[in-house]
Amino acid sequence: METLKTKKMKEVHPMENVLRMDRIPHIWCPGCGIGLAVTAFAAALEKAKIDLNKVAIVSGIGCTGRVAGYVKLDSFHTTHGRAIAFATGIKVANPDIKVVVFSGDGDLISIGGNHFIHAARRNIDMLVICVNNFIYAMTGGQVAPTTPLAVYATTCPFGSVEPPINIPYLADSSGAVYVARWTTLHIRRLTNSFIEALNKKGFSVVEVISPCPQYYSRVNRLGDGLDMMKFYHDNTEIRHGEDTKNLDIGFQSKIIMGKFIDRERPSYTERFD
Amino acid sequence: MKANPKDVLTGVHYIDGDVASGYGILAAGCKFVAGYPITPSTETAETFARVAPKGNAMFIQMEDELASISAVIGASFAGVKSMTITSGPGYSLMMDAIGFGAMLESPFVLLNIQRGGPSTGAPTKTGQADMMQSRWGSHGDYEIIAISPDSPQELFDYTIKAFNLAEMYRCPVMIMSDECVGHMTEKVVIPPAEEIELEPRRLYDGPPSEYLPFKPDDDFIPKMAKAGAGYNLYISGHVHDERGYPVINEKFKSVYLRRLVDKIRRNKEKIIELKEEYTDDAEVIVVSYGISSRVAVRGIEKARKKGIKIGNLRLVTVWPFPDEKIINLAKTTKAFVVPEINHGQIAFEVERCCHGKANVVLVPHSGAGVHNPDDIYDAIVLAAKEKKKIEGIVEYKTKLEKLVFEGDYKLKE
Amino acid sequence: MSLIITAFAQGIEKSGIKPAEVCVPSDIPFEPDVVKQLGIDYFHTIRGRAIVFGTGLKLANLALKVVPVVGDLMTLGGNHFVHASRRNMELLVICVNNFIYKKIGGKSIPSTSPVFSLYSTFEEPFNIPHLGNSCGAIYTARWTALHTDEIAISIAEALNKRGLSVIEILAPGPDYYTGINNINSDLVKFYHENSEIKNNEDPRNVGITPEENIVVGKFTDKERPTFIDVYNAQLSKVIGDKFTPYGPVQTSRSGAGLGTGQNESGGKNG
Repeated sequence: METLKTKKMKEVHPMENVLRMDRIPHIWCPGCGIGLAVTAFAAALEKAKIDLNKVAIVSGIGCTGRVAGYVKLDSFHTTHGRAIAFATGIKVANPDIKVVVFSGDGDLISIGGNHFIHAARRNIDMLVICVNNFIYAMTGGQVAPTTPLAVYATTCPFGSVEPPINIPYLADSSGAVYVARWTTLHIRRLTNSFIEALNKKGFSVVEVISPCPQYYSRVNRLGDGLDMMKFYHDNTEIRHGEDTKNLDIGFQSKIIMGKFIDRERPSYTERFD
Repeated sequence: MKANPKDVLTGVHYIDGDVASGYGILAAGCKFVAGYPITPSTETAETFARVAPKGNAMFIQMEDELASISAVIGASFAGVKSMTITSGPGYSLMMDAIGFGAMLESPFVLLNIQRGGPSTGAPTKTGQADMMQSRWGSHGDYEIIAISPDSPQELFDYTIKAFNLAEMYRCPVMIMSDECVGHMTEKVVIPPAEEIELEPRRLYDGPPSEYLPFKPDDDFIPKMAKAGAGYNLYISGHVHDERGYPVINEKFKSVYLRRLVDKIRRNKEKIIELKEEYTDDAEVIVVSYGISSRVAVRGIEKARKKGIKIGNLRLVTVWPFPDEKIINLAKTTKAFVVPEINHGQIAFEVERCCHGKANVVLVPHSGAGVHNPDDIYDAIVLAAKEKKKIEGIVEYKTKLEKLVFEGDYKLKE
Repeated sequence: MSLIITAFAQGIEKSGIKPAEVCVPSDIPFEPDVVKQLGIDYFHTIRGRAIVFGTGLKLANLALKVVPVVGDLMTLGGNHFVHASRRNMELLVICVNNFIYKKIGGKSIPSTSPVFSLYSTFEEPFNIPHLGNSCGAIYTARWTALHTDEIAISIAEALNKRGLSVIEILAPGPDYYTGINNINSDLVKFYHENSEIKNNEDPRNVGITPEENIVVGKFTDKERPTFIDVYNAQLSKVIGDKFTPYGPVQTSRSGAGLGTGQNESGGKNG
C-alpha cells in the first residue's frame, strides 16, 4: 500500500490557467449568474482543446462586460455596444484567431443591435455569448429590451410597456448558424453548447439566462439568486430544434431551452476566397 | 408665461442634483424626454420617468443615444419642448445629431453630467473635460449655449432657464453639469408655479401659404411651425434658404451660416450670465465654473484673509464665452487663476482673451475627484507674487501630483 | 424614385388621410416642388435615423401620421428598425431598397454601369419582411417600383393600421450615369419581370437569392396593441384614476373601402 507523501502540494484551482487570478475576487454580486457562465466557458475551452493563444475575448460595458477582465486570453473591454464590431475587425484582420464576444443583453441587443444583426447576416465566424438577466444591472437596474412586460425597473417605475425581444428569433431571422439557450443552472449543457459553438464556423449565439439578485429579482420580489435558480429548475423545458418564434420569455413564465438552430452557411471570411 | 401648477412640485426638498434636474424638466413644461441609461445621469431619467405622467409628458428609454437625440429633435418639430440626458460616451455619440439640430435651428436641451473620461473613463467619478467638446464637438460651424450649474438648486433653476434660452434662440442648449453636483444632495427650494417664468415656443400664426420656415424676425431668429398643422414643412439638414429648400452655393452659404452664428454672437449680452465679486480692483481673479467654483471659494477666502486682493468670477454661462469681460479685466488685473477638472480647456479661452496683458495660471485636475482648496490658494499666492508677464499658460503643479507620482509618471507608493 | 412618389401620393389619397397630417422623415432628398405638391411635411434627416426622428414626432403629437421613407434602413438604421418593430410604434416605414445582385432568377442584371450599392455582391442582403415580422411589425409587404398600383394600395392600407408597418420597395438607385432623378428603366423592368406575386407567403421564405425570382406581395397583416396602447393600459392599471391617458384618444380607423384587387384573403389575423 502506498503511503501518502508528506510533501506539501501546491494548491491550484482547476480554472487557473484560464482566469486572471490576480484579479480574483471578482466584482459580481452574490447570487449572480455571470460567474457560472464564465466557469462553463472556461471548462469548454479546456475540453475543446483550443489553443488559448488563438482565442480573443471581447466584451462591452455592463456587468457581463467585465468578463474580459477576468479571463486570461487576449481580452478587450470595449465601448458600449461595439463589442461585435470590434470583434469583426479582429476576425477579418486575422482569420486564424477564434473570436468570442461575451456581453450582456443590453449591450448586445439594445445599443449593439445593429452590429448583432449585421454580423449574423454576414455570418462572421464568432461565438456570441449573451448573458441575459433582463435588466441593465451595472447602471442601477434600468429596463432592457429583454425585460418582460409589466415588470418594474427604474426607468419604467410603473412597469415595462415594451414587448421584449426574443433573442434566438432575432438571431435566426438575421441568419445565425447556431442558436442555443440555457440557464446558469444547466452548467453542463451550457458547456457542451459552448464546445459545439466554438468548433462551428459561422455566427453562433448562445443565450445564457442568469439571475440578477440585486436588481431584477429584488425589485420584482422574486427572491435572491438561489430562489431564481430554483425557479429555473422547476420552470424550464428542453426542446431542441424548437421553432425560434415560440421562444418568448414572459415574466416568470416557462423558459424553453435547447439547441434551436444548427445549420451551415459559408462564413464571411470564407467568401473572400 | 407661467409654469403649469400641475408640473411644479412646490416645496422644500432634500434631493440630489440629478433628481432636481428631473423636477426642473417637468416644471419647464417639457413634454418629451428620450434617454439612455448612462452613469451618472441615469437618475434624472428615472426621476422624469416617475413624474412624467403628472405632467402628461412622455419618457421613453431608446435603444441608444443616437436614437435618443434624433427622437428629441423630431419631437421638437412636432411642437413640444424636448430634451435628453447623457454623459461622456453618449455625448460623443450624439454629436452628428447635435450639428443637425443646430442646422435646423431646433430648440432642445441636452443635460451632460460630465464624468471622468476619455472613453469609458471613470463612470462614477467627476470631471469637467467635455467643455470644449460642447462648443466644437460636431462638424461644421454653429453656436450653442452652455450653462454650468454648481449645486442641485442651480440644476433645478438653470434647467428651466435652459429651456427658455432654447426657445428664445432656437439652438441646442447644453447644461454642462458634473457628477459631483449631480450626485450631491442638498436643499432645493421649488417655488410656486406663479413664480416660474417660462418662454413659450415662438410659433407662427399667419396663413400657411405665407409661411417661410427660416425667415428671421428682427432678432435674427425665425418662428417655428408645428408639423402636421398644414404648413407643408420642408426641413433639411442641407444649407437651406428661407423656404427650407437646399441651396448649395458659396454666396448662399455665407448668408445662412452668418445668421446661424450671429444669432448667438450678437445676442451675447442677453445670454451670458456671470457671478462676480471684487473683480474691479483685484490683483488676482479666479475664473471658474461648475463644482470647481464651489471648491475655489475656500481657496479664495483663505487668500483674502492673507490680504491678497482676490476677485471671483464665476462663469454660469460658459459658452458663448464672455470675451469682453475677460479682455476688460485683463487690463486691470495681474493674473487669472483657472481651476478646472481637466488639463486645460476654458483656461485656453481665458488666455486667448488676455492678449498677454495678464498671466494665466491653470490649476488642473485629472478627474475622479475635485481640487484640494489649498492648491487653489497656493496658485493664487503664486500668481499674486509673480511680477513678470509670462507667455502662455502657467500650469500649477498640484499637491496631488506632487504626492502621487514621480517625474516619470509612475505611481508613488 | 419618382415612381415611388407617384404611388405614395396615390396611396395617401386612397387612404382618406389628410396630407397635411402626414410627416415624412427621410434620408432620401426629395425635391422641394414634389413636397409642395404632395402637401406633406418633409424632414431630410441624418442617414439612418429617419425612424427614430419619426418616433419623436409621433410621440410628441399622436395625431400625426409618420411615414419614414428610408433608403439606408438596414445599414445605419437596422437597430432602430428592430426596436421600433418591437415597440410597435405607429409608423409606416417605406424602405427603398436598391440592392444590387449580379444575377436574379439565374439571369444577369442588364445594367453594367458601376453603382454604389449598399450590399457588396457576396454578402446576402437582409430579408426585411422576415426581420420586421420576427421583431413584431404588424404589416409587411414588398413590391418592385413598377408595381405602382399595388404600392398605392399597400400604403393606403398601412396608413390606416395602428402599429409598425414596413413596405419594402425594390428600386434601382441613382448612379453616376443616369443621375439622381432619372431611373434606370431597364433595371426597373428587369426587377418587375423577375418577380412573382405571392401574397400571404410566410416571410421566412421571401429572402432574395440569386437562384430564384424575387417574391413580392403583402405578406403579413395582423393586429397588436401599439406602444401608446400598452403605455396607457399599464399606467392606468398602476396609477389608477389619477392617470390621464397620454395624448389624444385614438379612434380606430377602418379602411376606406379598399379593394386590393389581387389578394382577397388579406386577413387581419394573417
